[in-house]
Amino acid sequence: MKKYIYLSLLTFSSLIADTELDEIKQQLKAQQTATQQLETKLYNLEQKSTNTSASFSQNAYLPDMALILNMSALSRDVKNSEYENFAIPGFIDAGNGHLPFNKNRGFNLNYAEFAIHAVVDPYFEAFANFHLHPDEFEIGEAYVQTTSLPYSLRVRAGKFKSHFGRINSQHQHSWNFDSQPIIYKSLFGPDAISDPGIQLQWVAPTDTYIMAGVEALQGTNGRSFGDTESNNLYVGYVKSSIDIGEDLSVLGGVSLAHGENTTNNPTDVYGVDLTLREQLGSYSSLVWQSEYLYRNKELISTTDKQAGLYSELVYQYNNNYSGGVRYDLITKNDTDLSAYSGIDSDNLDRYTAMVEYKPFPMSRLRLSYTYDRTKIIAGERTDINEVMLSLNIAAGAHGAHNY
Amino acid sequence: MRKIILLTCLLSSMVFASLNVDTTYSTMGTVTKKIGGDLVNVTVLGSPKYDPHFIVPKPSLLAKLHRADLLIMNGGGLELGWLPPLIRSANNAKIQNGAKGFLDMSHFVHMIDVPSSVSRGFGDVHAQGNPHYSTDPYVIPVMAKAIEAKLAELDPENSLVYKENLDKFLTEWSSYLKTFDAKMAMCKDKNVVQYHELFNYFLKRYEYKSFGNIEPLPGISPSSKHTIELINTMKKNSVKIILQDVYHEKKTAKFIADKTGAKVSVIPHDEKAVKDADTLKNFYNTIADRICQ
Ligand SMILES: [Zn+2]
Repeated sequence: MKKYIYLSLLTFSSLIADTELDEIKQQLKAQQTATQQLETKLYNLEQKSTNTSASFSQNAYLPDMALILNMSALSRDVKNSEYENFAIPGFIDAGNGHLPFNKNRGFNLNYAEFAIHAVVDPYFEAFANFHLHPDEFEIGEAYVQTTSLPYSLRVRAGKFKSHFGRINSQHQHSWNFDSQPIIYKSLFGPDAISDPGIQLQWVAPTDTYIMAGVEALQGTNGRSFGDTESNNLYVGYVKSSIDIGEDLSVLGGVSLAHGENTTNNPTDVYGVDLTLREQLGSYSSLVWQSEYLYRNKELISTTDKQAGLYSELVYQYNNNYSGGVRYDLITKNDTDLSAYSGIDSDNLDRYTAMVEYKPFPMSRLRLSYTYDRTKIIAGERTDINEVMLSLNIAAGAHGAHNY
Repeated sequence: MRKIILLTCLLSSMVFASLNVDTTYSTMGTVTKKIGGDLVNVTVLGSPKYDPHFIVPKPSLLAKLHRADLLIMNGGGLELGWLPPLIRSANNAKIQNGAKGFLDMSHFVHMIDVPSSVSRGFGDVHAQGNPHYSTDPYVIPVMAKAIEAKLAELDPENSLVYKENLDKFLTEWSSYLKTFDAKMAMCKDKNVVQYHELFNYFLKRYEYKSFGNIEPLPGISPSSKHTIELINTMKKNSVKIILQDVYHEKKTAKFIADKTGAKVSVIPHDEKAVKDADTLKNFYNTIADRICQ
């Protein structure tokens, strides 16, 4: 284009007077300046459109936040006033149980949980979740954890749920069933092993996943530990996982919790867990998860030896539907049962079935039926039937999916 | 002297023969192999037969992440549902966000479909724009250059090898793109619908027009109301091609095909997502063969 202009100018120049030529030259120059000005303007505008942030805005550094709501509608063939004084012989005496979730017939608002995660700096990230129950505020967990330690190590400090076993570290709303496995409830109560302390985890540099961890905890859990004159609880575990083919994976672990109970004597809890997961498609799977826990609790003159297990099978049909069954059983109950003389306290077990519907990825409706044969109600062994519809909502930042 | 230097270079290159590179998806893994050659061990974390948004976070992936010198991820939120807890538990300082061995490929790609406002009321939208850029064959050179730069940064002794591999690959790819574009130029019918907005980059590149999605909102299962609306739109605009991915249910697409006379084409979203897409070129060839009518 430029060439053409010059060429035509050249042709003109031979035909017309010098003054006219100067005039045209000037006009051309003016046009060039105008173009340059436009270009500068455009450049400035472009610069503007890429950086319009407010000078002191810190929105980009806001932590990830989520609000989790958990509630239920429930029907049970035992009166609320009698149910809340339940006993599980050998484990929980009447009036000693704590029922933070799904206690009442009718409606229950279990909790509103506020979960926060933030990267602190290149070396730490922080997590916290606050449980707001209808009449109680609880720091569920609050801890910092390293991200860049050498030697395959990770350290966590604060209040956290122990990685003992399989289900202990998971939050209630991420369990496959709304109720806690009986053996966990019996040995640890609803919060399971959750304490202030520190944790050290190490991943082995092997092709097979092997992780070992140790934790030093305060040991506030009064059911198994509870001597809190100083930190009394030490937890250790090894977990490993293998894939069998592309779609079947196996995760297993052994755990030990060694602490001091309220009689100043040692308690040891051993755990074995095994999970098999067969992936049937992107949104379809079959998961079989089981745990066995054994407790050796020394008292002043005797030693309690108690154990139990749960085993659950969950079939995820598609994005929206899943269903599952679980069996709970107390396998060993060598303890002083004289308070229950005349009451049948053998064969403590529980059956649970559930179907789940997720209309959207962030909300979940779950209908479950429980046939509970573990409880003494008002001094009598009572089989309890319970039907519950629970609703769980997770709004805000995505929690990544569990394995 | 020169001989000694050469010898040292040779020896050191033999000693540090391999970088362990993990990529979240298959296409990026293969590009990494093209650039890294024998100097890299590539592990693909996410199986191409499954939904890339929801890779199952198997613990075995932790062992793979733990041994990685470099993690190359797609970014743009595609791994949000599975990767962060794995990185957290792999105890590998090298591949933490911000570390030298962490590469987010979306930072090199011009993202399209960036929403001006985001709400979960619109479904599980990609807040940072559409992350499914791998379906555009023109993104491959962008990936290759970014990977070459990163490998050279991590392994400077072998930077010349990476550069050589890159140049060779870019030449090969640009001639492939010429034949590929020529093939795409033969396609007449440019009206499509798709299940999820997986193929927008490809559609934009080859001037296709997408008239809607089978899912009513991102990540939400089809509803009969939305399906009927989609059928009407397709009839009105004579849309005859339904782009189905490998991992979603195929019933809805078949139903729509029956009502509209359209054809269901199963399009791979990643290399190796279908049998025919076994190589990088065959990945795009398969897309072309199945989309072009
Ligand atoms: Zn997507």
